[in-house]
Amino acid sequence: MVETGLLIQTIVNGLLLGGIYVTVGVGFSLAFGVLEVVDFAVGEYVMLGAILGGLAAPLLGSEGVFVIPFVLVGFFVLGFFVQPLIHHVTTGDRPQPLLMGLVFTFGLATFFRGTVLTVLGPNNRDVPSSLLQGSLTVPSVGIFPYVRAATAVFGVVALAAFMYYLYNTKGGMAIRAIAEDRTNARLMGIKINRYQSIAYGSYAALTAAAGVFIGMVFTANPGMGLQYTAFAFFMVVLAGMGYLPGVILSGIVLGLTQSLTAVYASSQVVLLVLFALIYVVLLVSPAGILGKGEWAS
Amino acid sequence: MSDDHTNKSRRRFLKTAGAGAIAVGFAGCSGGGGSSGSGSPSESGGGGSSGGTSTDTESGGSTGSTGGGRDRFKLGAVTSLSGDLRFGGGVTKRGYDLWADTVNQNGGIEVGGESYDVEIVYADAQSKPSSGADAASRMISSENVDAVLGPYSSNVTLAVCPIMEQNSMPHITGSAESPQIWQQGFEYSFGTIPTVSIIASETGEALLNLDPNAESVYITGVNEPFSKSTAEAMRTAAENAGVEVLDFQLFPRGADYANVVSQAKSAGPDLHLHGGHIGSHVNLINAAEQFDYSPNGFMMHYGVNTGSYKDGAGAGAAHTFGATVWLPSADRSGGVLFDSPSAYADAAQAAYGSAPDYTQAGSTAAGIVFQEAFKELGSAPPLSQDDKDELISVLEGIEVNTFYGDVRFETEGEYYHNNINTTSLLIQLAEDGSPNIVGPEDQAVGEATYPIPSWSER
Repeated sequence: MVETGLLIQTIVNGLLLGGIYVTVGVGFSLAFGVLEVVDFAVGEYVMLGAILGGLAAPLLGSEGVFVIPFVLVGFFVLGFFVQPLIHHVTTGDRPQPLLMGLVFTFGLATFFRGTVLTVLGPNNRDVPSSLLQGSLTVPSVGIFPYVRAATAVFGVVALAAFMYYLYNTKGGMAIRAIAEDRTNARLMGIKINRYQSIAYGSYAALTAAAGVFIGMVFTANPGMGLQYTAFAFFMVVLAGMGYLPGVILSGIVLGLTQSLTAVYASSQVVLLVLFALIYVVLLVSPAGILGKGEWAS
Repeated sequence: MSDDHTNKSRRRFLKTAGAGAIAVGFAGCSGGGGSSGSGSPSESGGGGSSGGTSTDTESGGSTGSTGGGRDRFKLGAVTSLSGDLRFGGGVTKRGYDLWADTVNQNGGIEVGGESYDVEIVYADAQSKPSSGADAASRMISSENVDAVLGPYSSNVTLAVCPIMEQNSMPHITGSAESPQIWQQGFEYSFGTIPTVSIIASETGEALLNLDPNAESVYITGVNEPFSKSTAEAMRTAAENAGVEVLDFQLFPRGADYANVVSQAKSAGPDLHLHGGHIGSHVNLINAAEQFDYSPNGFMMHYGVNTGSYKDGAGAGAAHTFGATVWLPSADRSGGVLFDSPSAYADAAQAAYGSAPDYTQAGSTAAGIVFQEAFKELGSAPPLSQDDKDELISVLEGIEVNTFYGDVRFETEGEYYHNNINTTSLLIQLAEDGSPNIVGPEDQAVGEATYPIPSWSER
């Protein structure tokens, strides 16, 4: 017999976990939608953010939240200057730009991970936060750890901010124009290099900031990135490739599926169920759950 | 200076700087990695604890070979000097090197009135079982070694042991814990660290004896060979003690512990026992704190006394119970080469600038056992094949008192050639993260904080 309290808590856990995935999926979806780059380094931006949170929080009163503004700025700058390199290998007379982008970002991910391992070693690092310590217990509903709730809220707010930027500002219109047709956008006088760099910088900043939150929820270590790269791929396929509003729904679906499967079937089959889910979505609706993304091809 | 020349210089500088930076980055993935967090030693099958942040060193007697009729004992050592297990491999190497250095400083091994130094040649297992087996084969065929000191991690050891059988090569590993190694019945392989099923069972029993006796436990584990064996040994200990096992769950690495904790909290056990790697310990404790899950105690075998666990779990690490077979504060008699555990710890600190863990200690003990066996064998180096075969008989009958504990190898049963005589220690982390030995009773140096304070009381 299903215990109601556990069921509700499991659903809460799934929603909060989905919120954590949203933080990673938003940036990844943006990068894919605008730059048409499937970025293998997404998980490593999460890792770098988490590691920096672990290193910098003790310098800022053991408060990981205070690290986030620095990470946002720092990674925007990093992304801004990395993007031209990606642009360089995915354009020109190279025969398979998508593959070139994949290979380049795979190398980037390896480089980031290797650098952290070499310089800092393999140990776990705590990302402390006294502001987000503790939890809210809602009677008859369950426990909401502040840090998980804050992470989910961050993801949703970041998504809303990006949506606002994309649909209500001149810069956003330029980015959407680039996503629609790069050549025509250039002919219209849009400085596509600059806007692509802004888009990639925003993606890197958001993903690394998500990493700080994820470090606070779990822990930070150099090997953590791969898992988030995999989930970012799950997110965009479920959401519909490049379709930002679908990210919240795909996060919720992934989080709930993972939680309910772990508790009521077995933790052993969670990945199997997730892969089956992706497989079915690709078969039935290649443009994502809402059918509004690009076709996965 | 012309613009053209300036541009070329800048380009050359950028190329050089870029190449250097890339080399640094890729070094971590190809060889500069290490392990202990998510890629931890135990994650690949268990290999003992590896804390601290020390790096690998090149000390010790690893110089070139001297060929036939040499004036020293020559040992091969297979360990991971690159790849994910590099950190643990380095710990193992430090253990072997410290033995060799100390023996040589003390005048060598005396056999038949003559003293012989020790030389160790290393082969890199690259953190992969297949590479470890290849490296062992190449080393044996090219280096004419008298015996071999074993690799880091159980998975690599399982691949190397058959090579030792094929070459009839005496082999002692100082850092492998999977019971599968000993269940295979390898004639030429021995190990100084008791198998994890012994350690988890003995320390689990010590924990269950704490007052008030636990009536129920919840057992979880990561579904990998080492961690699974640990969790199963914990379950056996609980069942033998008549304690109710409310649930036994295995899950993959990377699972979300929110659900694990929610289920466990719903079951309401007295104790939570967990078999896994350090990353999973951290995730479990963090989730327990977030969801206010407060049983009377958490026990994780192994690695709670490592820097990686303490750094990862932060303040939440306090009061965690764990298992080990050796600490510098352990009550061991001392014996050959080092007078006591603390004397060994001082020597290790002086040599490498970091505190040794039980993997390093077990590796040094492996060298000491060979040292005593060479003496008992009485043959001058290089050893003939008959000598090597005779050495196996010597090892089967040998009893050595060391700073690490008394070493004696089983000669039959499922722990064939494993040293199961070293007492396992139940430890608990203090508020400052330092480990205290709290069980079994005759080894305890302090009282356990038990039941542990709930999260709201900390």
